[in-house]
Amino acid sequence: MIDLLIAILRSGTPLVYITLAGVIAQRSGVWHLGLEGIMIIGACATILGIVATGSFALALLIAVLLCVAASVLLWVVIEKLRANPIIAGLGMTGLGLGGTALAVEAIFGSQATVSAPFGVPRIGDSFGRFGVLSIFVVALPVVVALFWVLLRRTRFGLRLAASGEHPFALRSIGGNPSAMRLAALVIGGVLCAIGGAELAGGSLQFFAQGMTAGRGFMAFAAVVFGAAHPVAAPAAALLFAILGTLGIRAQLLFGEKVPHDLLQAVPYLTTVVGVWLSSRLRGGGDGGGYGELRDR
Amino acid sequence: MTHDRKTRRIRLNLRRRGLLKGAAAGLALTLALGFGAPQARAAEGLLALVHTQAAGDNGPVDSMIARLNELAEETGMTARAIYAQDPATYETIFRTLGDAGATVIVTTFAEVGEPVKALAPLYPETRWIELYADPVEPALPNVATVSYDYHLGCYLAGVFGALISESGTIGYVGGASLPTLNADLNALRAGALSVDPDITVLSAFAGSFQDPAKGQEIATQMYTEGADFIQTDSAATDAGIIAAANEAEGRMVSAISPAQYRLGPSTVATLVSLDFGQSLYNEVSRALDPGWSGGHVSTGLGSGVIDFLASPVFAEEGPEALAAKVRAVWPEVEAIRQKIIDGEIEVPFDTTL
Repeated sequence: MIDLLIAILRSGTPLVYITLAGVIAQRSGVWHLGLEGIMIIGACATILGIVATGSFALALLIAVLLCVAASVLLWVVIEKLRANPIIAGLGMTGLGLGGTALAVEAIFGSQATVSAPFGVPRIGDSFGRFGVLSIFVVALPVVVALFWVLLRRTRFGLRLAASGEHPFALRSIGGNPSAMRLAALVIGGVLCAIGGAELAGGSLQFFAQGMTAGRGFMAFAAVVFGAAHPVAAPAAALLFAILGTLGIRAQLLFGEKVPHDLLQAVPYLTTVVGVWLSSRLRGGGDGGGYGELRDR
Repeated sequence: MTHDRKTRRIRLNLRRRGLLKGAAAGLALTLALGFGAPQARAAEGLLALVHTQAAGDNGPVDSMIARLNELAEETGMTARAIYAQDPATYETIFRTLGDAGATVIVTTFAEVGEPVKALAPLYPETRWIELYADPVEPALPNVATVSYDYHLGCYLAGVFGALISESGTIGYVGGASLPTLNADLNALRAGALSVDPDITVLSAFAGSFQDPAKGQEIATQMYTEGADFIQTDSAATDAGIIAAANEAEGRMVSAISPAQYRLGPSTVATLVSLDFGQSLYNEVSRALDPGWSGGHVSTGLGSGVIDFLASPVFAEEGPEALAAKVRAVWPEVEAIRQKIIDGEIEVPFDTTL
């Protein structure tokens, strides 16, 4: 049971951080489909940073700076160049996936996996079997709680929601929706850097190209599933992680009786059902618009 | 006010024009780099590899690219490796290379079979080599296909796993449930059961050949379930499986490429080696012969391309007790290997799960 819990926390933590980035972007009015790309930039920068500097703190700082830069670029493309946010987000994903492969090729002369001598600091043997978990796993509940306070109990959170749901209302009180979106994407960039660092350095300690393997899109699905709520969306991400882990366990236990493909599809089928259910429960599906996907 | 609007409109038009000009220049540059260069260089001969799995796997794709470059250096030709991620682009890539006058186009894995079959007759001067493919029906004179009896190596991995396992449980992790990988799993199971009828073989597919985090999660669960030996069959996902093995003592992995020894010096005990790089080198060298003609090549144990090998790194850096046990059981594995080569043991090729 403890091993199962550890497996869920390990696979769920990067997903939750990325989901939080998606939540804040969504609330500001940006459908963030660039999560995958910015996450892999964070993963790549962390491992390459550790190799180059020998310091996790410096590596994380580099990852944060690069992810924030990518987020600002996305903001410029969406807000200043007036590009479609969805297309721009997908472009950012392509840029992240391709750019990291190019960076590894340019630095090391091959696209092989880059290993780091160490990764994200772990909480240590004093926590028994949980000692293999990284500090980002332990910090997760605190981060989610702070995130909830930020979005639901502060003026900033209120203005952020207004910039997404009713930009005109925000402008009428002198606010600037575009600036709020920039702030949201920058905070999201920091979260993507942490999520990428956890994925590549939490337990693996290496970077392989394309290693995000669709987690950014899973996080986006969690944002929609959780209606961009600061607690419900991370809970949805954690649910995906639980289903993924149980899917593996089902393969081990029932793989000879039930087709592997079906068992592998269970988490994704659940995602689709969950997103549909979330939309129905909130009265979505009757019309378009962003508002239906946010908590009310 | 009207003047301001006009000025703004003119500015916007200029900005748009600038953007359009920039885009046109970018497109022209891309075309020049993407299409012009191969055409210009094809005069000395172009060796192209179109791979459908990403490089950076410490295994098949990396070794193929390395050997392609080596061959290009030896022959004075130009090497070009192209990652074809999207099946919709296969035909465009092949046509571009064909138009560029590529001498040899090497393709990887079964999914490119149909586009090659359709395009090879249009480019008769280009020699096409499909690695990991079934024979083309009807045969084409400028297409060679190469299949690999990798399941034979997996059978030996099953034998080895059953002989060395103390828990009586071993595992197999595949990238995706494809017919050839299903055959590998069935062969591994058959090999293990041939030695120990009571052995438990756990199996799972990651659903991706590029997800080391998922590989680690699967392997961790397998080890927790009692497995002490896992055979990997999932390209870049393998790295996560090895990472899981490295987390505790007594865990062993059988990987695919010698490059993976260093990822787990004390855990990667064996390899079901499939040297795609060597295979590419052999087949392209043959294709450069003026008298070459297409056909099908089947490789198995004893061909130098597929084998079951004990890691020399594990022998030196692995836990002493396990390394000694590997040495102890190895003669039995060798004997069974020889029986397979001699045809005394027939390994089933069963693609159903």
